[in-house]
Amino acid sequence: MTQLALVIDLNVCVGCHACVTSCKQWNTSGWAGPMVDENAYDANPTGTFFNRVQTYEVGSFPSTETVHFPKSCLHCEDPPCVPVCPTGASYKREDNGVVLVDYDKCIGCKYCSWACPYGVRELDEQQQVMKKCTLCIDRITDQTLPEAERKPACVIACPTNARLYGDVHDPDSEVSIAIRERGGYALMPEWGTKPANHYLPRQKTRMHVTEEDLQRSNNPLTKEDITVYSGEETLDDVSW
Amino acid sequence: MKRIVYREWLVQPQRYWGLLAILAALVAVGGLSALYMEHEGHWVTGMTNSVVWGTPHVFAVFLIIAASGALNVASIGTVFDKKAYKPLARLSGLLAVALLIGGLLVLVLDLGRPDRLLVAMTTYNFSSIFAWNIFLYSGFAAIVIGYLWTMAERKGNHLQKPVGTFAFLWRLALTTGTGSIFGFLVGREAYDAAILAPMFVVMSFAYGLAVYMLVLFYTFDADGRPIGPAMLKRLRNLLGLFVAAILYFTLVYHLTKLYGAKHSDIEAFILINGGLYSAMFWVGWILIGGLLPLGIIYHPELNQQRDWITTACALVIVGGFAAMYVIIVGSQAYPQEMFPGHNVIQFGAPGDVGGRIAPYSPSLPEILLGIGGVGIALLITAVGVRVLQFLPESLADRDVDPHASARPAA
Repeated sequence: MTQLALVIDLNVCVGCHACVTSCKQWNTSGWAGPMVDENAYDANPTGTFFNRVQTYEVGSFPSTETVHFPKSCLHCEDPPCVPVCPTGASYKREDNGVVLVDYDKCIGCKYCSWACPYGVRELDEQQQVMKKCTLCIDRITDQTLPEAERKPACVIACPTNARLYGDVHDPDSEVSIAIRERGGYALMPEWGTKPANHYLPRQKTRMHVTEEDLQRSNNPLTKEDITVYSGEETLDDVSW
Repeated sequence: MKRIVYREWLVQPQRYWGLLAILAALVAVGGLSALYMEHEGHWVTGMTNSVVWGTPHVFAVFLIIAASGALNVASIGTVFDKKAYKPLARLSGLLAVALLIGGLLVLVLDLGRPDRLLVAMTTYNFSSIFAWNIFLYSGFAAIVIGYLWTMAERKGNHLQKPVGTFAFLWRLALTTGTGSIFGFLVGREAYDAAILAPMFVVMSFAYGLAVYMLVLFYTFDADGRPIGPAMLKRLRNLLGLFVAAILYFTLVYHLTKLYGAKHSDIEAFILINGGLYSAMFWVGWILIGGLLPLGIIYHPELNQQRDWITTACALVIVGGFAAMYVIIVGSQAYPQEMFPGHNVIQFGAPGDVGGRIAPYSPSLPEILLGIGGVGIALLITAVGVRVLQFLPESLADRDVDPHASARPAA
């Protein structure tokens, strides 16, 4: 079975919120909308978002760093929000594994919000039905779009390519390779929900360059070079 | 034991209609509040994406478990053959149905889309405990109405025991289901505990009996019907037993959570540093709802006085609301931690607070909706006892106590 998902590279996410705004723009004006706001430009704004970026401080001062952590529905393979829904409005698509809400069946009891351990379900304040990330289902399944554009809005918008999208069940897909080769991990795997979305950990690349490396103290020529330079033009000085 | 005679509630018309007017006003205000919240949207409530069930659910769950508990008085008479409880059975059934309707109305009107009730009644997902509860609640109302019929109709008397037993088993299932709404939830740290189901059953015994006793005392006082000291003692001691059982279950629940380090944060939040929630737990749930009523009930002098017993019942009810508030709201206010030990310094988009204690203060419409539910339960009860024969003429010991004649006259 196909399981579409996002893989988010925390290494390159800079917390710019392009994924948040593009998600809001696409979904509020499409099938999943409206995602209403109140006081959007006021002191205490509130609204419905399918994708939010949480920013964490890691470590103790002064050795701290900031981690931006975009979070949306993880499209679990065993989603706890689906069995608890009294009307079956929450469901998981058989063909691509995307977890969706049928807005016409949702009675707004909010029990799925209780069940989701990741806190990604949001009640639309005005429409009063439960909403969540659809993985832009109206985009990724739209056969009239060129194939390159059949991706979630957030994936297309991300300026650093921190968001990868594909089938995590296909071992040769870009996302599977990224998970396999770059230590991709699922959020809170202990819940047994098998989240389809994965995260690529932050990695530090440290170069170990010593003075000796720069000076090439072990340069064999220093011992063996018999050329004696005395200020004359060498090949390096030739202007091409 | 004499034949029990039931009579309509013969309170003065002015008093009766005055009471109905007050209750109807509460119901109307509750209805308008629901309409206002439905029209304006979720943001006029104090609820957020973290605290999704607020004060209306506190009222609704309290009323629903009190409903199943109120039926307990009838069950003791019918199922366990305690003859002294037989005269109490009709009011018990009426209160059970009335409280259930009040609770369900609040629950339904607090749904995001109460207009889609028909969807909920026609489209079921049987893996959801919530869907099961729809059957448990509506079935309970139907069974109790049938049970009341077997009590009131001579032709149905022979069915009283089987129907009463079935109603008793059903009510146990109902409260187990209500407790399991929370007990089955693995997504919140405070829940995911099987003990919540039996704890809710015991809570229902106490809250239902406390409501029952208050209604009984009020209606009997209003038209001068006697309640004998033996009957008073029986009800009082039963309430004491149930309140003590709540404390026991509360102790075991928290000890279980405290034993492993995994839940120490949520326990610290509820028990020590949760501010309002810790205060509600210790002052409301434990002191007002537990220790004070127990003190009154087992006090050798205070427990002889009707006023003090009435106070104990009221305290149990206040404590019950506090307990529901801590269980329902407190457990949601505590954040779902993605990365324990790390602070969220910014939560991307507006509208919520990930990783911190969620703020929640009940808005006025929420409170009024809840009170409206209480109003409708009492309204149904008041009309019921007025127009039908629910109340026994006397609960004096010589009329109800099967052993009264064997006792030496005091």
